[in-house]
Amino acid sequence: MSDYLQQSLTGLGSGAVIAVLAIGIVLTFRASNVINLAHGAMGMYTAYVYFGLRNFDLAGADRGGDLVLPIIGLPTSVHVVDRPTVVTALVIALGVAAILGFVVYGLVFRPLRSAPPLARIVASLGVFLYLQSVMQLRVTAAGGGAAALQLTSLLPDGVVHLGDSAIPTASFVLAALAVAVAVGLGLVFRLTRFGLATRAAAEHEKGAVLTGLSPDRLGYLNWVIASVLAGAAVIAIAGMSSKLDPIDTSLLVVPALAAALLGGLNGFAATTVAGLAIGMSQSGLSTFQARAHWLPDFLPKGGLRESLPVILILIAITIRGSHLPTRESIVETRLPASPTPRHVFAWAGVLTAAAAVGLLTLDAQWRLAIVVSTIATLIALSSVVLTGYVGQISLAQYAFAGLAAFITARLAVNGMAFPWAPILGVTAAVGVGVLVGIPAVRVRGMALAIATLGAAVAIEALVFSAPTFNGISGVPRPRIFGIDLGFLSTGADNFRAAFGLFALLVLAVSMVAVANLRRSPSGLRWLAVRSNERAAAAVGIDVSSTKLLAFAVSSLLAGLGGSLLAYELPALSPQQFLVIGALAILALTYLGGIATLSGALLAGVMASGGIVTRLQGGATGDASSYQFAISGLVLIVVAILSPDGISLAARRGFARWRRA
Amino acid sequence: MSALLEVSELRVSFGALVAVDDVSFTVPTGAIMGLIGPNGAGKTTTIDALCGFLPAAVGSIRLGGVALDGLRAHQRARAGLGRTFQTVELFDDLSVRENLLVAAIRPRWWSPFVDAVAPRRGTRGVNVDDAMGLMGLDAVADARPTELSHGQRQLVGVARALATRPRLVLLDEPAAGLDPAETAVLGRLLASLPAAGVSVLLVDHDMNLMLGVCDQLTVLDFGRVIASGPTAAVRTDPAVIAAYLGGGA
Repeated sequence: MSDYLQQSLTGLGSGAVIAVLAIGIVLTFRASNVINLAHGAMGMYTAYVYFGLRNFDLAGADRGGDLVLPIIGLPTSVHVVDRPTVVTALVIALGVAAILGFVVYGLVFRPLRSAPPLARIVASLGVFLYLQSVMQLRVTAAGGGAAALQLTSLLPDGVVHLGDSAIPTASFVLAALAVAVAVGLGLVFRLTRFGLATRAAAEHEKGAVLTGLSPDRLGYLNWVIASVLAGAAVIAIAGMSSKLDPIDTSLLVVPALAAALLGGLNGFAATTVAGLAIGMSQSGLSTFQARAHWLPDFLPKGGLRESLPVILILIAITIRGSHLPTRESIVETRLPASPTPRHVFAWAGVLTAAAAVGLLTLDAQWRLAIVVSTIATLIALSSVVLTGYVGQISLAQYAFAGLAAFITARLAVNGMAFPWAPILGVTAAVGVGVLVGIPAVRVRGMALAIATLGAAVAIEALVFSAPTFNGISGVPRPRIFGIDLGFLSTGADNFRAAFGLFALLVLAVSMVAVANLRRSPSGLRWLAVRSNERAAAAVGIDVSSTKLLAFAVSSLLAGLGGSLLAYELPALSPQQFLVIGALAILALTYLGGIATLSGALLAGVMASGGIVTRLQGGATGDASSYQFAISGLVLIVVAILSPDGISLAARRGFARWRRA
Repeated sequence: MSALLEVSELRVSFGALVAVDDVSFTVPTGAIMGLIGPNGAGKTTTIDALCGFLPAAVGSIRLGGVALDGLRAHQRARAGLGRTFQTVELFDDLSVRENLLVAAIRPRWWSPFVDAVAPRRGTRGVNVDDAMGLMGLDAVADARPTELSHGQRQLVGVARALATRPRLVLLDEPAAGLDPAETAVLGRLLASLPAAGVSVLLVDHDMNLMLGVCDQLTVLDFGRVIASGPTAAVRTDPAVIAAYLGGGA
């Protein structure tokens, strides 16, 4: 038992970090009504600044003091000062964090203050993608990942003995700091005009104006505080755990979101308690899973630990939600326009024929690119149905695809014949998709985005990391009616056209079916629910089952894409289905036009390794990081300037040009 | 006349505030019942509670003898309770015709499968053109609600509620923002509804319209019913005159 106590108290440290990050999320939410998914990524950047400054090897000059720059086009880093002390480095890093908070609010979220939730979510995804990919590039450029950085802890490294357990002093120090931050902010918010005004602004923007402070200044101030807190928290945890990574560190936002939601996105005290509790129970759960030998072996190591915050998120938002929004909570939720698709068969025929000709005449690399784009279009189509047509923001589509891919591959390798393995794989994706959709019946907007992000992380932690799915290769070739549909071969024959044509057929049928659904009464109900759930219920539309149908259709599409991936990829590994891929797919679909079929097509064409990549002459690892970084930037710009996406902007431009 | 809607002891409270306090009234089949009262009397809250939008509401609601308690909003709509909203609340992503279609069509569990293959079959045999004609909306059938005047939007809201083929339609200030010509169209339409088998519960501040079309009135004040019955009797009730109609009415 004392082991559990020891583990749980050790978890106080990470709990404190989660709590401080969660407090930042609450601050930015209250100031500008956005749940900042990039909060962890912002802290991650600040931590790289700090450790870059302190580290003598980053630029190879053995003098330290290099400041990592997060801007593409500028040099990786600039030299600021020789061999900075801890204090100097910390002051500079937190100063940079303050500037980052200022800039992110000023350039991204201030212009989006009254934008619909989808635009704000997408913009925060853009910031996330951008920071994460830029740092990936910069860290690689600086000569190796976190291993090359010496992540020294700022905190005392002794232990405290409690009975027979030894607990790191740092955990207690961090917990005390987190409590101090919460109490300090609590006092500021209770006693100062700034605090009062921010609380008023959270209720109503005019309320803040009446207190005589501009909502703008409040926004800047809250974002600066949040960014500095995030930076400090990530510096602390990176030093303590000797782990800093552009992706994993950015995803610290998930447990922090859980704490913020458990605290009701409001009180600092409740948020801090929730954060500490999550950290402690995560730590305890690790021990529990390592001890409890009766737990099935297929559970991946650390699976319980990673999925706990997610389960908390889902419970918290489901309990707080309701079947229909209230009269008071109705806000402008304009979503990108969704014109009725026209000439569906003509378009499907022409595009399929063009791609088929490409498959039959072009070389192997082109065939690969066409197949990659075909599959990406299917997965993007799943976002069009769910997010575009029904307004349910889901970040779990890629996880559904991965689920289908792993199950298809595992079953096929174990000897199941061709059509049955993918059918079961897709069925599993649909099942999980509907399961994830159940909370969606009661939550909407931002909260749903967080729930699905949580679900994606849970699927990643509980399923993809499972030993049975780790690195599946040698999936048998699909074969039907004696025709070999296999993709992989040798030499110039590799990336066979037969598989490409099969994938095209799947896509064409899916596209036509989705277009039909969109034009039919089912599609009208989807759009009705998207524009007004109360009015939809008032005309007899079952809002819950309408949403669940969309979840089923969209996870079916993602599952089809995933099953095709199982045959397309030479080997499957969990790294291919990370949450970051889901963000990229949603980002590209939003760019293309989230509520249109052509948006899905554009997303597929632009997908990493797809047709656009081929046109640029192929991609290496860095190029795809650049692509992510640039799509992050473009995403922010599109969210602010043209929320309908490229395809509709182009269509309107064309219409104007024809009239002129 | 038999009772179509029977409301008894309906009570809605928001925290300490009791918005609707033991409200009981009956709408006879074929009646046009007016629900009047000063601002904040609980008229919209009553409609929300009847339609299942306020899960916290307690009391008993029966439509045609069938209890609606515990049914969700869409189930009450399917049971024959149509409504409009004070804030109109059209589906801005759909055209006017589609707004009516989506209300008129009742899906079955297999509908999505049919829809994926034959998108037009679902709307076959569903006629909303007559309803649009009746409301003078033919010219704007393919327009988006956002392109319409406020008066036209109000009329689309009423037409959409009627497209669900309700037995009782609850209209929340349908004449607000209408010009006199549009109000006249609305008044004629309302008067014709009982003959078409639709009873009406009407909330509005336009007393000419109310006294012109309502054969029954229920008066709410501070969440309580202060009078209910035939229009002629209620409009001369001293309590009603004191609370709402004022000396001159």
